[in-house]
Amino acid sequence: MRHRLILNEITHTFEDGGMQRTVLDRLSLQVAEGELVAVMGPSGSGKSTFLSIAGALLKPTSGEVLLDGESMAGKEKQALSDMRLHKLGFIFQNANLIPYLKVEEQLMLVAKLGDMSRAKANDRIGELLHKLGLDHRRHAYPEKLSGGERQRVAIARALMNDPAVLLADEPTASLDAGRGMDVVGMIAREAKERGKSAIMVTHDERVLSLCDRVLYLEHGSLIEKY
Amino acid sequence: MYLAIREMRFAKVRYSLIATIMLLIAFLVLFVTGLARGLAYDNAASIQNMDATHFVMEKGSNHRFTRSQLNGQALAQAGVIAGEDNVQPLGVKMTTMKAEGLAGKLDVTLLGIRPEGWLMPQVTEGEGIATGETGDVLVDRKLKDSGIGLGTVLVDQASGLKWRVSGFVSHESFSHSPAVFLNEHDWQQLQTGTAARPEAGGAEEDGGAYSAIAVKANKHQAEQLAAELPDDEIVTKSDAVSAIPGYKEEQGSLLLMTIFLFIISLFVLAVFFYVITIQKSSQFGILKAIGTRTGYLVRSVALQVLLLSSASLMVSILLVQAIEAVLPDGMPFRLQASTLAYTSAAFIVMTLAGSLFSVWKVTRIDALDAIGRSAA
Repeated sequence: MRHRLILNEITHTFEDGGMQRTVLDRLSLQVAEGELVAVMGPSGSGKSTFLSIAGALLKPTSGEVLLDGESMAGKEKQALSDMRLHKLGFIFQNANLIPYLKVEEQLMLVAKLGDMSRAKANDRIGELLHKLGLDHRRHAYPEKLSGGERQRVAIARALMNDPAVLLADEPTASLDAGRGMDVVGMIAREAKERGKSAIMVTHDERVLSLCDRVLYLEHGSLIEKY
Repeated sequence: MYLAIREMRFAKVRYSLIATIMLLIAFLVLFVTGLARGLAYDNAASIQNMDATHFVMEKGSNHRFTRSQLNGQALAQAGVIAGEDNVQPLGVKMTTMKAEGLAGKLDVTLLGIRPEGWLMPQVTEGEGIATGETGDVLVDRKLKDSGIGLGTVLVDQASGLKWRVSGFVSHESFSHSPAVFLNEHDWQQLQTGTAARPEAGGAEEDGGAYSAIAVKANKHQAEQLAAELPDDEIVTKSDAVSAIPGYKEEQGSLLLMTIFLFIISLFVLAVFFYVITIQKSSQFGILKAIGTRTGYLVRSVALQVLLLSSASLMVSILLVQAIEAVLPDGMPFRLQASTLAYTSAAFIVMTLAGSLFSVWKVTRIDALDAIGRSAA
């Protein structure tokens, strides 16, 4: 089995009022193809730091992140930016769509940034929107969408460039239980069908049943609980 | 470019408001520039119309025609250096006149020239003046508004000399006063009539007295003239124009207005885009997080500024041209293509400079902000 995301001995520290604080302490994690891993933990446990490091947004103090076997260490800003564009799909807390782009344009933007051909992009947009049940919302602005629809667009956007890894930052925070289940179900299904490694940071215990593994972030490391 | 255009399409009201402000400022910039050029021309038209590159004036005259006095010797010397055909004597005197049969007085500038020479203006109505005939003058068309017509007799207040208007010329003025052209003979008569400095000229046997000598000279000849005529100075045409009473002051204040308008447009735009950029900083964070390069976002902001400023500029150019068409004749307004081109270029450059602050802000936004945020 292929592990598309590997974190090796990640340590992250920062200065806080003269004190050296260790947020992540030799954290290791491997996420396999088709697997959805949930990461839970109280506020301040370092979930955001963990996700930022896995998402090539933050350089860890030590340790190594491998994306599809490629190390992020020592890469320049632009290279990291390109890596995020091609290898990673982000799903944010509040969908965070671009307010002035219609649904299909949200996806077209990602395609354009990734230099995808127009024909291919159109096919892919059609396919993704159909799969996620957004056909009828193709020409709507985000402000006209419901919370669940927005999050589904965000999932489609994350999948647009066919990334290796999906990272979701509390995707159900602003959704009711039913919608939350739908959205996480879609993430799990897409990860499985397309062979992606997915990590979801969440507070929402209701959706844990849809995840393959549930990990708790405590004292800087990930602990598996059953 | 994808983002820039779609955002403007989405936030039409916001962007059209700022475009309107820019349009008004651009219009004002062009209008004031046109007015400044118009006034400049109206002020110094007669000197600017002259086909000279330099003027020889008396040392210590501070580049002012009205203060300078030269004699025929200087004219002859200048002729030797620059070539007989390239020098023309010129008399300039501001005076007050009365027209016979009309109430009120007129401020005019008398310009003494050689009618056969290259300082002679184009006659638009009536007949020209010639060397042989005395007592005839050409006057600026503007004097028609004061009731002067062909054949009207003008009386100089200081000397009591009388001249008959034989023709009209257009766009001829000096220090905003209409020009009256007389031939060399009449000019010398005026000089002897009012001469207070016999040593500086005025005597016919010296070859006459002039205010200045108009010269067509290249750089080398101008240097030679300066060396050969130690008692005189060689003034470039633009310096001579600037020294016309009131010219520098008038242009200075208009220039100040134009510069301020540029600075205002710079700031209005800078503030607008800065505020919008701050408002959108989380959006920029998201875009960076999903892999948009900073350069792409910077180009997007710059493109918006460029689109806004060039669209506003184009509309304001049309507006200014429409206004120019309906302005009354007496209004000094002059916007040549070259002036229009460099003013527009300066405006675009200014607006782009105004976007620099926002661009800097965009480069500072961290993609990390996108994680752990509850609000977009």
